[in-house]
Amino acid sequence: MSGKSAREQRQAERLQAESAASTGERRTKLMQLAAGAAFLAIAVVLILIVVNGTSSDGGDTNLEKTADVNAKLAGIPQNGMVLGNPKAPVELVEFADLQCPYCKAFTEDMLPGIIENQVKNGEVKVAFHNFTIIGEQSLPAGAAALAAGAQGRGWNFVEIFYANQGVEDSGYADDEFLEAVAKGAGVGNIAKWNGERSKFEAEVEATTAEAQKLGFEGTPSLAVKGPNTDGLEPIQVPESVGELEDALDAAR
Amino acid sequence: MSYPSEGNLQRAIAFVAALGIGVATYIAIAESGGGSPVCLAGSTGCKTVAESSYSHVAGVNIAVFGIVGYALLLACAFFASDLARFGGFLVALGGFGYSVFLTYIEIFKIEAICQWCVASAVLMTILFLLCATRLIAYGGSEQLQEAR
Repeated sequence: MSGKSAREQRQAERLQAESAASTGERRTKLMQLAAGAAFLAIAVVLILIVVNGTSSDGGDTNLEKTADVNAKLAGIPQNGMVLGNPKAPVELVEFADLQCPYCKAFTEDMLPGIIENQVKNGEVKVAFHNFTIIGEQSLPAGAAALAAGAQGRGWNFVEIFYANQGVEDSGYADDEFLEAVAKGAGVGNIAKWNGERSKFEAEVEATTAEAQKLGFEGTPSLAVKGPNTDGLEPIQVPESVGELEDALDAAR
Repeated sequence: MSYPSEGNLQRAIAFVAALGIGVATYIAIAESGGGSPVCLAGSTGCKTVAESSYSHVAGVNIAVFGIVGYALLLACAFFASDLARFGGFLVALGGFGYSVFLTYIEIFKIEAICQWCVASAVLMTILFLLCATRLIAYGGSEQLQEAR
């Protein structure tokens, strides 16, 4: 082998070694960048989750029991203002005014037992129908509940409203309060809710007329519909959960 | 450790990214008229998620960002350069991270699951794994060529 070809071979080997070193360097740099990007991505996702977690359930308001209500209703189907399996054979219809303290008491004392058992079992569904009798703010409040219902959060809205109910017809149920309730209820699209709620006032008036037609004079008023009833039949407001269960059983 | 050939990884990325474009395009079209994607088995999750405030960022449907992300990943699959490997990894990392966040939002905030969003999140997770494997296995071996 001549001296020249040996020199050429050494040169080729040096170039190859330089190229390998350069590739290794580039690779190390890429891996460092990739690790940095991954670290950054994890940090950003965690920050987003923490920020959204702390602003959840109306955290920017002073509402009470939002988390409790949302947890209680989680997983139960809601279609408009109907809570429970749409195919449930028995329907309990509550005619109520959101500003009415007796309606609050009925919903908080009587309904949880029914929701926990008959509603979750798919035997009963519960519908909220507005029957506005208290004051001027009952109409927009009822419509706001229906607009929340259009986004699958109607019962969350009703129960959070009740949990934070003020003194009857004292003017507390203003737009700010209603929006706080909607946010606390988990209404996803607040802009849409806000834009739609006045349209639901006609429906509030219609259910109020329905209640009057059924002969109701106060709130809450109840009616039941099932295989053993002749359409929607008014029932007495029960004294106990057991009494309400009996009325629902009789309708099956 | 032995890795699949880069050509196979590129083909897999292209295939999954194309599926992702299909899913994201369907969601974007379904929501464009104020509607929502159709969930299977009568679930209302898709409607609830589509109507939530999280479905739009700065007034733009997030499915549109999804289409752009998948399209970039598809483009990266056609080149065997470090730029394509690293760029693909970054896009997939961003998409995967955002999918994790959105899945958290669906479960804990909106309390509804949109099956199409889950499908997109699964595709983005697969793409992230493929792009990360590609970068780890072939990152630094600079060569410009079209995928075979």
